[in-house]
Amino acid sequence: MRKLSAVIVLMFLLSGCKSDERILERLGMVQTSSYDLSEDQRLKVTSSIPVVNPESVSRRELLVVEADSIKEARLQFSRKTELFLVSGQLRNVLFGLNLTKAGLGNYLDTLMRDPSVALGVRVSIVDGDAGALLSKDYKQHADTGQYVDHLLEKEGGRNSIPQITLYEFSRDYNDDGIDPIAPIIKETEDHVVIEGIACFEQDRYRMKIPAADGMIFALLRGSLNQGEVALNLGEDGGRKRIVMFSSLGSQHKLKVIRSENSRFKVKISASIQGSVLEYTGSLRLQNKADRQELEKEISAKLSSEGNQMIRNLQQHHVDSLGIGQYVRNSLSYREWKSTDWNKVYPSVEIEFHPKVIIKDYGKYN
Amino acid sequence: MGRDQKTTPSLQHILQQFDQCADLSRRNFPEIRVDIVYFPHLVSSKLLTDEILEPFARPQGDKIEQLLEQSQFVFQADVKKVVVGILGGSVAIFHMDQVYMLDAYGPETRSLVQSETETIITGPHDSFVESASTNLSLIRRRIKSSHLKVIRCSVGEISKTDVYILYIKGIANLEYVEELQKRIQRIEIDAINEGAMLSQFIEDNPNSVFPQFLTTERPDAAESKLEGGKIITIIDNSPTAISAPASFFEFFSSPDDYYQRWALGTALRLLRYSALLITIIFTAMYVSITTYHYEMIPEALLRTLAESRTRVPFPPVYEALLMETMIELLREAGARLPTKIGQTIGIVGGIVIGQAAVQAGLTSNILIIAVASSAIASFVIPSYMMSASIRLVRFGLIILAGIWGNMGLSMGVALLIIHLSSLTSLGSSYLSPVAPMKGTDWKDVFIRAPFALLKTRPSQTRTPNTIRQKMRK
Repeated sequence: MRKLSAVIVLMFLLSGCKSDERILERLGMVQTSSYDLSEDQRLKVTSSIPVVNPESVSRRELLVVEADSIKEARLQFSRKTELFLVSGQLRNVLFGLNLTKAGLGNYLDTLMRDPSVALGVRVSIVDGDAGALLSKDYKQHADTGQYVDHLLEKEGGRNSIPQITLYEFSRDYNDDGIDPIAPIIKETEDHVVIEGIACFEQDRYRMKIPAADGMIFALLRGSLNQGEVALNLGEDGGRKRIVMFSSLGSQHKLKVIRSENSRFKVKISASIQGSVLEYTGSLRLQNKADRQELEKEISAKLSSEGNQMIRNLQQHHVDSLGIGQYVRNSLSYREWKSTDWNKVYPSVEIEFHPKVIIKDYGKYN
Repeated sequence: MGRDQKTTPSLQHILQQFDQCADLSRRNFPEIRVDIVYFPHLVSSKLLTDEILEPFARPQGDKIEQLLEQSQFVFQADVKKVVVGILGGSVAIFHMDQVYMLDAYGPETRSLVQSETETIITGPHDSFVESASTNLSLIRRRIKSSHLKVIRCSVGEISKTDVYILYIKGIANLEYVEELQKRIQRIEIDAINEGAMLSQFIEDNPNSVFPQFLTTERPDAAESKLEGGKIITIIDNSPTAISAPASFFEFFSSPDDYYQRWALGTALRLLRYSALLITIIFTAMYVSITTYHYEMIPEALLRTLAESRTRVPFPPVYEALLMETMIELLREAGARLPTKIGQTIGIVGGIVIGQAAVQAGLTSNILIIAVASSAIASFVIPSYMMSASIRLVRFGLIILAGIWGNMGLSMGVALLIIHLSSLTSLGSSYLSPVAPMKGTDWKDVFIRAPFALLKTRPSQTRTPNTIRQKMRK
């Protein structure tokens, strides 16, 4: 009897829990948010919310405000919409380039602090105005936010750009010995294009690796089990020699050597396996000797490009590859603390030694 | 004279006892001074003719005494026993102040037909009927062993229903047999009409929603239970046999699992456990997610789900309770109606609920899918008793999910597990072989392993003879 009355009392209490309810159709679920620095140094926030009412023509609702902080922007949004704004369905945050140059630290902190924002939210940088990119309607896509999200997800899966979520970005930001990276996208006439990889020093944008070199960056950064790379091996008798290396798998190893004068030398080796899908040179790939020659050629090409990229990163003082972490792991805590990695890093000798093995060379020859 | 009547039964006395019993039949054979009294509808007419009418019809003078010496005629001096005997289908033969009884029980019974509640695809299709003797014969036919023991008790102060406790000596644990017998003998009620009803009188926790004894209409199931060391109770006038002790997981197995190949049997078992999960939490999960946990919805589903909810005027809890009640109404209506009208119910229900409710904006179509699939899943559970219990539990979980979301749902499931683990069946754990843990039993509980691996009897029966199969490959 007491149990029964408890149940009945609970049924009545049910109507009292209204404030905790998040009934689906009454929510404005922000799916994509973009943050820019406006001319008067305020934060311009643009949020895209799916419109679920089947009678409505538009598929998404855009909210744009200028505010001093992310959360203040949300309060302002709230005054504009009949929906209860929530950020639990947030999939993608876009940062405008001018904001990333000023530093992302504070905004990251806000996003990380809010428990309803998932750690799996994708972080990406927009070359230009992020709000403008998000506001634009691309004819072939009903929802720009979703389009960008799916684009990044697909490309990330193929390793041409890294998959960077809030978790990874803030981890690399807060950890020492590594600097964060994020994919960088750009708006064109009728598409959104992946431009490459943005490299940060701390929370500030420093340099960009073009999308074409994304694979080489991935090879330098870690082991892979999928990927494709196209290499230009120069000309041979007036003919361009292009090789397309696909179904790529790579075993990544990084070795830290300390020389006597306590300078660091880092050797990155990658053992790469893959199949040749396209080859326009004159070598006959069915011959083992020719194949080995091509392997060597590819290795050399990868090595020169990789080493060049490393120099470039070092010049910009960005340790996007996380070399510092490997060095840190080879040192004692005291030694690491006494090392000013940011100063040491540009002069560290880093070598890239790829070793390429051609698994197969296509259907027929 | 008065004192005599109490001890030695006389014809007058018996007839007086059965005063105003119009269905009592009395015949006399004046030549041999014999009177017989019996209920014609309880007595097999063939036996009556062969044993009494024919031999007695030919006047034999003194030979009647000799005839009555034959072993089938039992001398009876106790009035009460004569009355009980007549009620039990015996013919009372009065001759010269002496009474002999002839057991000629053989009333009309339903013929053996296929079970309606526990149908299977392959395997024996006979099922128990309302006559205990037929049911006993169905089991005896299958177990030709003198170790199959039968204890007879009587239940019901007025009905005096026969209850038979069957077990295999050497396999069944006698402590369970004694306990069961004690519980049956303790029952004091005017009548018990059904096996499932009897089981409620002897259960450990009569107030629980869950049945603690397995009931079956299938003789092959009963037989396999006996061979596993369980005890079967058969009650006269009911096609339902009770198997004890039972575990929760037993309700999810069907004889079909053993008749089909093991891979298929295993797949079916797993299917049933997933059905259990679906039927318990699917609708509740819909409620909790649409009310509280929008974060859990995958992106691809978000729009569809939100769109289908936009027109619904109620919060998801009321929406779900409404639809679940509707489905239960349909099910109950279908169960009580004759088959021909039952079809109409199906069509009306299908159109009204499936189509119109969504179009009218009363419910979302995703909920219809959730409710329908949990209803279908509940019918996958082979035992009707268990399936009905679980359907009832579901309502509680929906309400909890509506109050506290996933928190409430997990609390509900936790309470359910706590309750299940507190249950016992004939003193043994209801959650055996999970609690107490007995890993070797799992291959006959969660999957149906190949027969080569099913070498032991279930541990729950605490059988003295654990080995069931000695065959080597």
